Amino acid sequence: MSDANVVTPQRETNMMFVGAVLAGALVAVLAGVYGRMHDPASETTIKLFFSTTLHFKAWVTTAILVLVIGQLFGALWMYGKLPLGDPPEWVGSVHRFFGSLALLLSLPVAYHCLWSLGFNPDGGSGRRFWHSIFGCVFYGAFFTKVLVVRSKKMPSWALPIVGGVLFTTLIAIWLTSSLWFFRQFGWVV
Amino acid sequence: MLRRFVSGFEMAVLLAVAVFVGMLFLNSPTKPPGTPAAVVAAAGGIDGGELYGNKCAGCHGGDGSGGIGPRLAGKVVAKFPDPADQIAVVTNGRGGMPAFGTRLSADEIAAIVEYTRTVLGG
Repeated sequence: MSDANVVTPQRETNMMFVGAVLAGALVAVLAGVYGRMHDPASETTIKLFFSTTLHFKAWVTTAILVLVIGQLFGALWMYGKLPLGDPPEWVGSVHRFFGSLALLLSLPVAYHCLWSLGFNPDGGSGRRFWHSIFGCVFYGAFFTKVLVVRSKKMPSWALPIVGGVLFTTLIAIWLTSSLWFFRQFGWVV
Repeated sequence: MLRRFVSGFEMAVLLAVAVFVGMLFLNSPTKPPGTPAAVVAAAGGIDGGELYGNKCAGCHGGDGSGGIGPRLAGKVVAKFPDPADQIAVVTNGRGGMPAFGTRLSADEIAAIVEYTRTVLGG
């Protein structure tokens, strides 16, 4: 009797990955549906010590970008792509921590985007449309990544691909929001 | 020890995500004050409040408390003692604010300005 727990057929792992991607896609679609159907509040939300909510969002997203760039280096190190030798055991835990921190920081930003501004594809701005798309994809990709990390039945290439999508999406989010904001209003707090 | 801390932190973030989703559905926006009938009548039947909600609230907040754009509620009369100056800013734009002169009629702009100066407690 073959031990199916030791060797997982490739087809099964691929199907598991497809399932995780579909689950993430559902999260992304639900976020977009909420943004589209919800009546935008057009209100300020949290701003802490920043001038406005938008200043808060621009700078926090920039902080998330810095974290994500760090995540990229951590991931490359764990996969042996950096000339730094074998990564210490704590690198994985630190990677998980900063990934969770990035998600936590994104929540008040996304809250204002979804609740206060909404998703208006007819807003007349390509930048806002694509930012909305990338924002939804980001959370879908994050959900997929969590599923991939937690499962022992994923193909070995799944995690780097999903991580890459997450990284790329965050870059696109920053370019279509924070960078636009700083170019419009300056690098002010 | 580090793994235990990270696991605990992840649980806390998961809780924060649940709170975030809950707030999306449970938090009700502040409704902008409606335009009194007298103000609408004075503006020739144009509801400045409705126009404000559609064109201005996204940046200045539904209640004029500000956002992308500066706070208007309780500020505009002091900032623009002459309404014509405020109308000029709305019409021609200024800084990050776009010009609305090509998108709204002069009467509509006047109605919006009147709304911000009266109903929002200019």
